[in-house]
Parts: sequence; structure tokens; C-alpha cells
Amino acid sequence: MNEEIVKDIVRIRLSQMMVNEKYKEGKFKIPIHLSFGHEAIAVALSHSLKYEDKVLLTHRNIAYNLARAPKLKPIMDEYLLLDSGLCQGRLGSMNLINRERNIIYSSSILANNFSVAAGVAMAEKLKSAPAATFVLGGDGSMEEGSFYESLVMMKSLGLSVIVIIENNEWSLGSHITERRIPIDLRKLVSSVDIEFIQIEGNDAFSYLKILTEIRQKSLNENKIYCVEVKLKTLGDRNESPSSEYPSGKYINYHAGPSSTVNLTGDIKDLFLRYDIDDPIYVLKEQIGENAVLKVAEQIYSNLKSEFK
Amino acid sequence: MKYTEYINSLIKEKVKPVDNCVLFGQNIKTGSCLGGLTRNIKLSENSRIVNSTNAENSLVGFGFGLMMNGASSVFFMKQLDFLLLGIDQLVNTYNIIRSVKDNYPIGSFTIVATVVDSGYDGPQSSFNNFYDLCSIARIQGFTINNKSDADYIFENEFLQPGFRIIALSQRLGKLEINDSLSPRNIFSNGNIFQYSDGIDVTIISINFSFGQSNELVNFLLENKIAATHFHVNNIINTNWEEVFSNVAVTKKIIIIDDSKSIQTSSDLLLAKLCGMDIQKKIVIKHEPSSDWLYPRSDIFEIDQHYILNQLI
Repeated sequence: MNEEIVKDIVRIRLSQMMVNEKYKEGKFKIPIHLSFGHEAIAVALSHSLKYEDKVLLTHRNIAYNLARAPKLKPIMDEYLLLDSGLCQGRLGSMNLINRERNIIYSSSILANNFSVAAGVAMAEKLKSAPAATFVLGGDGSMEEGSFYESLVMMKSLGLSVIVIIENNEWSLGSHITERRIPIDLRKLVSSVDIEFIQIEGNDAFSYLKILTEIRQKSLNENKIYCVEVKLKTLGDRNESPSSEYPSGKYINYHAGPSSTVNLTGDIKDLFLRYDIDDPIYVLKEQIGENAVLKVAEQIYSNLKSEFK
Repeated sequence: MKYTEYINSLIKEKVKPVDNCVLFGQNIKTGSCLGGLTRNIKLSENSRIVNSTNAENSLVGFGFGLMMNGASSVFFMKQLDFLLLGIDQLVNTYNIIRSVKDNYPIGSFTIVATVVDSGYDGPQSSFNNFYDLCSIARIQGFTINNKSDADYIFENEFLQPGFRIIALSQRLGKLEINDSLSPRNIFSNGNIFQYSDGIDVTIISINFSFGQSNELVNFLLENKIAATHFHVNNIINTNWEEVFSNVAVTKKIIIIDDSKSIQTSSDLLLAKLCGMDIQKKIVIKHEPSSDWLYPRSDIFEIDQHYILNQLI
């Protein structure tokens, strides 16, 4: 069992909860897209990276940035647009990067980053560098034309790229079934001869194994892999019951503070759900609840000390 | 030498010694679809020519990706209209690069686009106001009207660190390149060239109107009116101080702008001239017309005698 993975998952969850508390207090002028439920894939990606690898993210990048940054405070300061922020308060949340820790680009425009990733990977190819390029998108971004254009370009040029699609089935307030016909991503990428892997279950350890393997294969064979990660973005809520919605209308979490995620001082707050949609619950199943809580107590104490 | 041939000779000369360079665009290995542009280009061993896919938005993103990872690249595109597909990358991706410019390696990205300015390519190929595009994204953009422009811009901008667009004229492509004039002065880091010096009137030409403006300068001179002629190569972040100083002396101004938009660079310049003591102001530009939607000549006729009478 890799203790660092356990610690990172818990740290990212607690860090996001601390951001959420400040968000609820109205401390931020910028929009932040929290990523409760994305911790396992973020940590797995972070641990799969080698020194020269490049990562290009989306607007929902907080879990990945937290995974790559050892401290919360520079990110919190960035959100507060302070000079002490990770990017000197110049980028805020949706475009936050951390070049020294491999994150070279984050885009708030859906699918904008795929073609940029193609260019980044092409530059690596020119240098014959042993570096993989990882690019993230969501189930909304794969509806954009640039997604397909970029896949064709990457494949035509024989680039080493790992495309990760976080499929949370929601785009703003619309469920995937409300906005489009189903897209069989496996068939779509297969049509341009790109290998497809679907993962789910929030097991960061198995995710890491898969990402590590395909990273190496991608480099060895100049191949593109497309990984679809099925997950839930947690922090959702139900509105008060009405005649139209007797059980209350379901509101998926998209951005802003989550009113249903609370950090009251009870460390058990870090469990948001008791099923495999919550990476913390999956950890509990793997190492036991007491072990998770023990790690969480220590990490929470460390995080609070950053702000003293 | 023809305009396109000369530009191509400069491209060949500049790209040959550059390492880690990618030249890309549709059909550029043969150059046959770009009027001969990019024909017979040779690169260093670790550079590449890529006959690209047809995906302008993604190709612009590709160039920015290369640039932010330290490589040099040039995207050759058939016509400016296609670049409208890349506007997200031009505005948004370039904004990020500018926001964190000190943190990115110093790569280079140049787009070389042809402005379809003959007017005969139909309603979907008639976007000729290059500076509309530059303005929305605050991009450094350079038009090439003659040999002096070409020499200066390829020496100082092409393949240099950072990003810019170089716009060529389709209309000028098959004509002999104008090599008869050299600028007397170069202002605002090459954004403005001064070609003649006169005390009677100030002529400012914009976009691809240099040739017609130069003809007007010569006609006026034959009629004893000496004009100072400035041509604007790049409208973005231009320092107009020298132009204004000249207008303060001549108190007469002629602006010639062949771009087709509601708000043009000539309007910007007029706004900046507000408050100056100007006795005669003549603006020669396309007036909005339904002809803009049809295959019609883009070249406007300049009534030189009318202008002469206005100045006397």
C-alpha cells in the first residue's frame, strides 16, 4: 500500500473542503469549480508522472493542482488573487497552472486544450524527449469538434499523448441524456485507430497501475491512449419539495460553494458518500475507517497550520 | 520578381538554419495551393514540414502548444477567412501565454495568412480587414505591401520569439513586387514606414492600400502638392506621435483604407486625431454595400482629380 497515495487523496479532499468553507463565506471573487469525487484519478495521474511529462487541464483542475502542489496556501492565495498565489494572482482558478510541477496549461474553453496538447507533444517529439503529454477533458468537451480534430492530428503525427476524459455525465445543470444522444467514446476513438480504456470505481491504486503502463506504452510506441474515467462530481443537493418536484429538484454540483459539504470540526465530515462514488469511502474499504481517520487528523492539523 | 516568389524566397532563407521548427499547413509540401508559397522549402534535420489536416482551430492551438514547449513553428494558411475558425485559440490560448509569459520557454509561432482581397472569391471569402482579427485578440499583425515591408518584417518578426500574424495580399500575389521605394523613416518599431516627406498634406495608407496611395502621392507631386506618406504595417500598439507631428504641420490629411468593416483602422485613427487643428480631412474607404456580399472587385477607385481639387 502506497501511503503517499492515501495521504494525497485525504489531503485533496480536506483542502477542497477548506476552500469550500471560505467560498461559503464569500471570500472569493473568482469562480471555482470544486472537484469532490475526482480525488482518485487526480492522485493516480500525479503519481504516474515523470519529471519531463506535461499535463494540460480543464477549468475543473483543483484536484490535479492540489495533487501536484505540496501546500494548500499558494493555491488558496491564488484564489484570493494575492501576489503570494501560485501564479501571483494572475490566473485564478479556471486557468491555474504549475509549470514546475508539470501542469503547463489549463483551459476554461471546452476542448481548447486538446490541440494545444498536440503541439506540446510535437515539441517533445522534435526533442526526442522521453516525456508523455496528458490532456484532460470532460464529457462535454468530447462533443466539441476540436476534440475529434485533435485526435486525428495526434494520430496522424504519431504523438505520445494520453487523453483522459472525466465523464461525470453532467454539463452545468444538464444531465448527459438531456442534451445529446449517447456517444460511444470507445467507437469514436477506435474509428481513428486510438486505443481506449474505461476505468471506474475510484481505486487510485489500480488507476495508477493503468496510467503508469499506458504512459510507458505511449512513449515506447508513439501511441495515443484515450482513458474514460467514469466518476461523480460530489457536492450536489436537492431543492425544497415543490408540486413539480415532490422530493425536491435535484441540483448537480457544477461550480461555486457546495452547501451540502461542511467541515464542522468532526473529521468524519470528509466522507461525503458511503459508496464507491466517493474516493474516501473506497479508501476506507481498502485500509479501514480508523486508518483513514488517523491520516485525516494529521493532515487536517498540517493544513490548518499553513494558515496560522 | 513576383510578390509571392519574393516572399517565398525570404521564407526559404529564414527557415533553413532553424532547429526544432515545424512548418505546417494544408498542402504546403508542394505549395501548389498557396500560389507557390512554401514551394521547395528545405529545413534543418530536426525540423519538420507537416502537410496538415483541415482543422484551422486545432492547427492554431497546435502552434501555440509548440510555442509554449519551446519550439518554433509557422502555420501557412490559404486565406484569412479560415482563421476565423481559430479565433478561440487566438484570443483565449494566447491570453494564457501572455498571462504567464515569464514561465513559458521562449518558443516562436507565426501564422502566415493570405488575405483574399481580389473580391471575386464570393461571399464566404471576402473578409479582408486583417486588423479586425488583430484587434479582437490584441495580436501583433503585419501586412506586406512591398519589398521594403517584406524585408523588414521577415528580418524582425518572422520566427522571432513570441507570436504574430503576417498577412499577404492575394491581389498582389502574381504582380511584380514593388521594390521601387525604400522608407525614409521607420517609426513605432516598424509599425509605420514613412515613404515621402512633404509639407502640403499627410497621407496615411492602411491594410493593402499602399500601391494606390503611392500613385496618389506621385499624382499630387506632379501637380505641385508635396505629400508626406506614411504606411501603417501594424495597427496594434502603434505609436502615432510622428504622424500627429506631421499632421500638425500640414493640417491636411488623407486616410486610405481598403478594409471592409463597419469600424476600420481609419476610424480609430480619426478618433485619435480628434482635437487637432485639421483644415482638410479626406477618408477613402469602402462604404458598406450589398456588393460586399457578391463577387465584385475589392479595389476601390481613387478619384485623384477630385482629391486634387479638394486640396487646392
